[in-house]
Amino acid sequence: MTTYIAQRLIIFFPMLLVISFLVYSGLELSPGDAVSHMISPELASTITAEQLDAMREAYGLNQSFITRYWIWLTSMVQGDMGYSMAGGVAISEIMIKTVPATLELSMVALFFSTILGCSLGVISALKRGSGTDNSLTVAGMAGVSIPEFFFGLVAILLFAIELKWLPVGGRLMPHYETVWDRIPNIVLPSLVLALMMTAGAMRYARSSMLDVLAREFITTARSKGMPEWRVNILHGFRVALTPVVVLIGFRLPLLIGGSTIIEQVYQWPGIGSMFIRSVRASDYPLVMTISLMYVFVVLTASLIIDVLTALIDPRVRLGKE
Amino acid sequence: MTDKNKIALSVKNLKTFFYTNNRCNKAVNGVSFDVEKGKTLCIVGESGCGKSVTAATIMQLLPTLSRIEEGEIIFRKDDKTINIEKLEKNGKEMRNIRGSDIAMIFQDPMTALNPVYTVGFQISENLKYHTNLNRKEIREKSISLLNDMGIPLPEKRVDEYPHSYSGGMRQRAMIAMAMACNPKILIADEPTTALDVTIQAQIFELMEKLKEENDTAIILITHDMGVVAELADNVAVMYMGNIVEAGTADDVLRRPTHPYTKALLESVPVLGRGKNQDINPIKGSTPDPYNRPVGCQFAPRCNWQTESCDVMPEITQINKTHQIRCHKYEQFFEKYDEKRNS
Repeated sequence: MTTYIAQRLIIFFPMLLVISFLVYSGLELSPGDAVSHMISPELASTITAEQLDAMREAYGLNQSFITRYWIWLTSMVQGDMGYSMAGGVAISEIMIKTVPATLELSMVALFFSTILGCSLGVISALKRGSGTDNSLTVAGMAGVSIPEFFFGLVAILLFAIELKWLPVGGRLMPHYETVWDRIPNIVLPSLVLALMMTAGAMRYARSSMLDVLAREFITTARSKGMPEWRVNILHGFRVALTPVVVLIGFRLPLLIGGSTIIEQVYQWPGIGSMFIRSVRASDYPLVMTISLMYVFVVLTASLIIDVLTALIDPRVRLGKE
Repeated sequence: MTDKNKIALSVKNLKTFFYTNNRCNKAVNGVSFDVEKGKTLCIVGESGCGKSVTAATIMQLLPTLSRIEEGEIIFRKDDKTINIEKLEKNGKEMRNIRGSDIAMIFQDPMTALNPVYTVGFQISENLKYHTNLNRKEIREKSISLLNDMGIPLPEKRVDEYPHSYSGGMRQRAMIAMAMACNPKILIADEPTTALDVTIQAQIFELMEKLKEENDTAIILITHDMGVVAELADNVAVMYMGNIVEAGTADDVLRRPTHPYTKALLESVPVLGRGKNQDINPIKGSTPDPYNRPVGCQFAPRCNWQTESCDVMPEITQINKTHQIRCHKYEQFFEKYDEKRNS
C-alpha cells in the first residue's frame, strides 16, 4: 500500500502542471482580458488605445502567452500566489478569508448528509416495499432531481421571507459576537446543501444494501443464529459501505471548492462565489490559484478513496505486492 | 418404526408455500420424515422439487414471501421436544437453535462466506454467541476446528480472508463454522455441487467422520445419485414438493419402486459401461408449479399412468422402512420379489 501511495504521489505533480497549463490556455482563449474588465462601460469611450496599452504593459499583459505562464508558474512554485488583478489584494489574503467560510459550510453539510443518508438508506433497504421505503424513495428522487438553486430559493422564500425565522443570506451578522450568533446564518445554506447530498447518499446506500442483503453470506450469518442487527449491520452494511464511501469521497473536493451555486444563492463569502467573480473578471492569478486548489483536492480525494476502499474491503489490494 | 430416542428431528406433514404476484407456489406440500442421530438422510430430487426449501424451513431461513402453512417440525433436544415451526422466525429461541443445535452448510462456498471478515472471525462469531468461552479460548477453538478440517497452517490461515482460500478450503471452513458448537443436526444443502470431484470426496469423508465422532444427524440435500449411494443411510426422493419414495438406502437404491425413482436411477450414466450405454432421460420436464397436474404429480411423465393417477396417491408402507406414494407400486414391487425368489 505504501508503494501504491508513493506512486500516486509521484504522478501528482506532473498532473498539476498539465492541468494548470490547460486552465491557463483556456483563460487565454476566452475573449477580453483583465484590463477590459477593469474599465467600466461608461468610461470606455473616453479612454484611448494608448492608455489601454499602457495599462496592459503595467500588468504585464502585453507579454507572450508562454512568458506569462512561465512567470506565473515560477512564482507559484516559490509559494507566491500573486495579487488579484481585480482588487489588487494578495491572493493569499483572499484565501485566508474565503477558505474557512467554505470549509465551515461544506463540513456541516457533508457530515450531516453522510450520517443521515447512510442511515435512511439502510432503513429504506431493510423495510423494502413498506410505506417508509416508498416515501423515502419518492423524497430521494425529488432530492436528486430538483436543482439546488431552486431548493435554495424556495427555502429563502419560506423560512427567511415568509416566516422570518432565519436570515436571507450572508455569513456574519453586523452584531456578531459569539459563535452562536453565526448559527442562524449557516442553517439554511447547509441544510439545502445537505438535503441534496443526503438524497444521493441515501439512494446509493439503499441499492447497495439491497444488493448485499440478497447475498448468500447474509443467510449464512443468519444460520449461525446471529441477531438481526448483527446480520444487517456487521455483515450487511459493512459490505454495502464500499460504494457509499466512494460516493462520499468524490464529495470531498466540495470541502474546499465549495458549492458555487449554494454560495451564490446565499451570498456565502466562500471560494465558490469568489471563483465565479474571478472568472467573470478574467482575474488570471485568482482563477489559476483556485482551480489548482480544486485539482489538488480532487486528486487527494481520489487517493483517499482508494486507500479507504482497500481498508474496508480486504479483497482490494492496491498496487503490486 | 425406529426407536423414539434415536430420532433427532421429525418433520410431519410440512407445507411451505411461496406467495408471489398473488399466486401461490406450494413448494413443500406435505412432507414427513424422521432424521436419526448419527445417520445420514439424503433428500434427492430434481431442481425445484422443494428439497432446499425443506432445509430452509427447518432452519426458519425462508425468504419473506413464504411461510410455513401447516405441519410440524419437532426437534428433540436431550429430553425436551421443541416445535420449531412455532418459534418466532428470528426470535431468541430460534437463534439459539440455529448454529448451535442445528447448523447448515451451503451450496456455494464462494458466496457463503463474508468477504470482508477473516475466516477466524466468522467461526468465532458462532462460538461467541453459543458458548461461554472467553476470547482466547474462542481463538484456540477456531484454530483447532480448522485443524480438524485438515486446513494446513491453521494458526496462520485463521487470520486470512476467504478470498485467499481455495474453493475446497472454503467449504471446509464453512463446515468448521457449522460444527463449531457440535450441532445435533447438520443440514448440508448440496455442499459439493460447486466443487470438483476430488474435493467432493474429501468433504464427504470429513462429514462421515463428524457423523461418527459426534453422533450428528446429517440431512444431505443432493441431486447426485452417486453421492447418495456413497453416504446415505436413509433416502427420501422428492418430486414437486412431495416425498414420493423413502426408505433405507438399500430400499430405495436396490429396490426403487416409484416410477420416478426408477427413472431417476436409469438416467444416471454408469462408469465403465462405455459410450454406447442406454441412458433414459425422464421424458418431459417438471410441471409449472403454478399449474400443477391433478392427482399424482409425476403422472404426466410416467410410463405407467392410468386413470387412477388422477387422484393423489397416499403414502403406503411397503415394509418396515420403505414407503411410497404411488397407486401402482404393487406391480413394481412384486417384480423384485419374483427376481429375488427366482
